[in-house]
Amino acid sequence: MSNALWIAVLAAALGTLLMRLLPLLWMQRRLKRLGDDAPEAMPQWLSLLGPLMVAAVFGVSLVPVTPGPLAWLATVIGMLATLAVWWRTRTLGWPVAAGIATYGAVVTLFG
Amino acid sequence: MSLQAATSPVRPWLSGMREAIPLLGGYVPVAISFGLIATQAGFNAWEAVIISTLFYAGASQFLFVGMIAAGSPLWLVVAMTLLINLRHVVYAPNLAPWLTSSRWWGWLMHTLTDQVFALAHARLPQLPEAQRLGWFTGAALLAWAIWVGGTALGALAGGELVARWALMGEILPFALPTLFLVLVAPRFTSRRWSLALSVTIASSLLLTLLGLTNVAIPLAAVCGMLCFQFVKFDTAMQGDHHE
Repeated sequence: MSNALWIAVLAAALGTLLMRLLPLLWMQRRLKRLGDDAPEAMPQWLSLLGPLMVAAVFGVSLVPVTPGPLAWLATVIGMLATLAVWWRTRTLGWPVAAGIATYGAVVTLFG
Repeated sequence: MSLQAATSPVRPWLSGMREAIPLLGGYVPVAISFGLIATQAGFNAWEAVIISTLFYAGASQFLFVGMIAAGSPLWLVVAMTLLINLRHVVYAPNLAPWLTSSRWWGWLMHTLTDQVFALAHARLPQLPEAQRLGWFTGAALLAWAIWVGGTALGALAGGELVARWALMGEILPFALPTLFLVLVAPRFTSRRWSLALSVTIASSLLLTLLGLTNVAIPLAAVCGMLCFQFVKFDTAMQGDHHE
């Protein structure tokens, strides 16, 4: 890589780090200032954005690597299996394992 | 790996690593793809690994090497990379109430990807304060190491791996939506939240299908927030509540 390209890599990396770090420092300062009401110290729009960003990440991840009727069918069945196991166990690991196994089984059996 | 268990009998960092394992199903194939694409774009294996280590932000890395390969001006490459990563600014403040006073948290923010945030946002509030730093360190560093290792693997042997394990490359990434479903499901606590979350999921899915993956997450979250703000149910009738 040329020197200019190295500088571009470092600038983009540093900028990304600052976007992750500076809001934390801002929030920590705000929490310290507001004292005991820690969770309530967060602006409402920000506390709403947290769960909604996770939901948005979920929506993006739903699109199969190679979209097609079979992949979508496997996604729907895999999601239902995940949900069913989560409903029964309320755990993190088993629903994920069940979902992947179901998705893999559908893709392999009908593919 | 109970979502409701507040404490874990095992060491916190080990517990964090164990709970981050589902992330790997999504990280490994994508990291291998990045390593492969970076080398095809003219970067060598070391350069690809350094980009993965320093950026640690999937979509923007693909954009970065793609724009460089296309001969785009460097200032534009940097600006577009930062623009895609702008969504990260809301992650750390959402975790801040559950972070302890350790100075390590600042450095660990480098590892705060979409997926690590989703996991930490659900788990940190359930953990005792003494376990949070260890748990996050274990989960986040494992994910980071796998991302960097996967890039190296992709740069060195990506073509052969993709040809030989094509089906696994399709199945393993399904770990991500299953994990996120488990993280989102407990949030459906009222009709108001259910509607906002459903709108967000549908919006991000639709935007991704339309090829707008890079803006899907922030745009969909804003759609959900507007829905939450403006669509209200009769709380006396429905028993809705805010979290």
